[in-house]
Amino acid sequence: MSNTKSDVLSRRSALKLGLGTAVGLTVFGLSARIVMAADGQVLKVAHPAFSQDWSPLRGGGSPYRWNSAWWASPMRFDAEGNIHPYVFASWEPNGDSTVWTFKIDPAAKFSDGSAITAADVKGSWELAAMPATTSQRVAQVLAGVVGYADVTGGSATALSGVATPDDATVVVTLGAPDPIFFMRLANHIAPITKVSQSRGADGNENAGWYMPQNGVIVSGPFKPTSIDLDAGKLVFEPNENFFVAKPKLARIEITSIEDNVTATQLIKSGEFNAHTELVTSTMVQDLGPEFGDGPQIPTSQHFWFNAARAPMDDPKVRQALIMAVDRDGLIKASYPDGPHKKTDQVINSVPGAENSGFEPFPFDPAAAKTALAESTYGGPERLPKLLFVGVSGPAIEAAAQYIAEQWRQNLGITAVDMKPQQDQYAGPDQNAVQIFRDDVGTRVPDAASYLLGSIASTSGNAQGKMGGYKNDAVDAKLAEASTKAAADPARVTLAQEVQKLFRDDWMFIPWYAQTMSRWATAEVKGIDKNLDWQVVAPWDISIG
Amino acid sequence: MLRYIVTRFALWVPSVLLVMLGVYALAFFGAGDPIKLIFLRAPGDVAYDPVRIEAIRESAGLTKPFIEQFTNYVVHLLSGNFGNSLSSGRSVWAMVSAAAPVSFSLGLCAIVLTAVVAIPLGLIAGLNQNTRLDYTILGSALFLWAIPPYVAGPLLMVGLLLLLPGMSVPYGWGGIFDVRIVLPLIVLSFQPIALIVRQTRAAVIEVLSEDFVRTARAKGVPETLVALKHILRPVLTPVVTQLGLIMITIVNGAIFVELVFGLPGLGRLTVKALTDSDYPVILAITLIGSFLVMLSNLLVDVLYPLLDPRAADSMKGR
Repeated sequence: MSNTKSDVLSRRSALKLGLGTAVGLTVFGLSARIVMAADGQVLKVAHPAFSQDWSPLRGGGSPYRWNSAWWASPMRFDAEGNIHPYVFASWEPNGDSTVWTFKIDPAAKFSDGSAITAADVKGSWELAAMPATTSQRVAQVLAGVVGYADVTGGSATALSGVATPDDATVVVTLGAPDPIFFMRLANHIAPITKVSQSRGADGNENAGWYMPQNGVIVSGPFKPTSIDLDAGKLVFEPNENFFVAKPKLARIEITSIEDNVTATQLIKSGEFNAHTELVTSTMVQDLGPEFGDGPQIPTSQHFWFNAARAPMDDPKVRQALIMAVDRDGLIKASYPDGPHKKTDQVINSVPGAENSGFEPFPFDPAAAKTALAESTYGGPERLPKLLFVGVSGPAIEAAAQYIAEQWRQNLGITAVDMKPQQDQYAGPDQNAVQIFRDDVGTRVPDAASYLLGSIASTSGNAQGKMGGYKNDAVDAKLAEASTKAAADPARVTLAQEVQKLFRDDWMFIPWYAQTMSRWATAEVKGIDKNLDWQVVAPWDISIG
Repeated sequence: MLRYIVTRFALWVPSVLLVMLGVYALAFFGAGDPIKLIFLRAPGDVAYDPVRIEAIRESAGLTKPFIEQFTNYVVHLLSGNFGNSLSSGRSVWAMVSAAAPVSFSLGLCAIVLTAVVAIPLGLIAGLNQNTRLDYTILGSALFLWAIPPYVAGPLLMVGLLLLLPGMSVPYGWGGIFDVRIVLPLIVLSFQPIALIVRQTRAAVIEVLSEDFVRTARAKGVPETLVALKHILRPVLTPVVTQLGLIMITIVNGAIFVELVFGLPGLGRLTVKALTDSDYPVILAITLIGSFLVMLSNLLVDVLYPLLDPRAADSMKGR
């Protein structure tokens, strides 16, 4: 057999073949690397509840924490509490802050490429306010808007105080001046949805409109590609029409894992890299300090006294119970390694919280004993049993037990009971409960709003947990503060004065100021959260 | 036999109605209003506005009297409508029909595992009564009996992960042929195995003194044959009854195992429904539970004649 010239691979052909192969392999390799990198950009989230309802309109619950991943809001706060435009590019109040004009960013669009219009904004707000929507917090955003009470009371379906003169303009009329109304919109409580999809002809929410099988149209950086409520698993992928930036993640996977031990193990093993809200005393020890890191937000946890119930109806008893507790020990017992910080006052992480002039309650067992002796009860023997509620979860249990132990050691009180439920105790029909553990806070960086929602006689906290607490001086100063402009120093000063007045009523044991943890491993970048409990810029999240 | 089955089913209907009335009343009057719970359980910044809450309750039909609500529910149920969840708005049928197969599969696998492991062990223990082998089997069974699933689950998971650091956490559901089912199955079978071992052993000891066993041995029948043919068969009758009851318990009550291992079954759904005071879901699960009890008892009754011919005679009224 002879080799002809055509049969033999020439050197030139061999070189060509080699070069071609090299180029091919390189191109393939590069593209393979890109695919691998994209595959690596997956945020795997352990979610602590078997949530059966992921509608973004509920304004609360565990799913709310991921609203910013798939929905846009009018404006947004960053981790430092600075406000930024989002769907609304600008906002302007009239002279007395009763009429606000908002302009929609011309670039703002939904995932189907259609523009976000003023009608979508108005319709989304109305939908959030409808009683059947059961939004927990819509009042925090829209309560001041003319016509809100009619919609939320079920007698109207349209907000008469919201006008849409054109597709890009929303004009809001308030019932009373509110200089910080623009701040109240900078959250995901009433997210902007495509109203033609989310709202039915009767004004109520269409069932399952947010499910991918119904072709949900989103306004945020990610859109759901799969929601399996029965298995507790959700998958989100980038919204290619998102108008702010191209999301860096290839995917977000959220899986319901109710058991904290299992969730911790899954994160430790690297199978998950984030959590919606992991609350354990040992989180920092288990998963490292980066996992719990985050900014302080205007939310704080305290133990509230119900002054309508014996023995809390006696101020001397309240004074004794507060002074008998070493609060440095309290934080060490509950969050020894953070991420939360001990606090002395109601307000935190708002302008005016630092150097507020609030004198911390002293830890003075001798004075506490004296106060108890001077009370109408004369000592621990005649006190009725003290009952805590809201004692759910290991950290809270540790704190409540520490307080009970301090009372036993320093005051001789032994009859103390604790229950996890808030339900039948926290409402107006509460029975014998004297101490409620609960948080208070605000979605705006404003001390007056913080106190209006926690100690004003109109607040749910004062009416329910503090048993109808009412201090006229507190109410009057807060009413005055709320009329001042956001930048007016008098707003802060009045709030600080209110806190001092409240202190003299001895109504709470301060516990901690909340850190808005990342709840993500160190490899996850850009997952900082804000006072709205949302990821500030989900499109910036990346892995590694 | 068919007449017997129809009679049993007819008797089940009124009793299940009574059970549902009781459960509905407990949820309605005792557990709390589902809409109020949404607001009361929320953090402190959520205002409790009674006017708004009443408007929401009215829109959900919760302001109607108890009897009217229950009657409406039963009428809808008769037309095959299980209603919608009060907390999520989802179709209850969709929720339950997705969860039930998981629990059934799990329960069935656990029963098979229990039967395969426990019956031979109980037989061996009974045949070797008061020997070291008997004590070992009985002691192990008592040890397993003493570990509740909510302890065994997390302990096994953490222990296994510490022993095998490279192993992935057995979390989630991938069907009965998925490796992740092994650990929950073991945890679920702990107590049933212990129970069946003890019951089989006791029954074997009782049967050993029966005349027919003595006769078989006197006839020179090999010991293995005596054990399998003459002893095991009468022993199986009470054991099968027990297995039926265990199956019900597992399907209805594998709450901790389903939570720890992330299995989307009825137990997990039950916890969620009870927490939210979600009556329609609670009632649907109750209905399935009571149907299971009925079905399981029926199956056991049907199996009896196959295991023991004397039972067939009694069913025929002879």
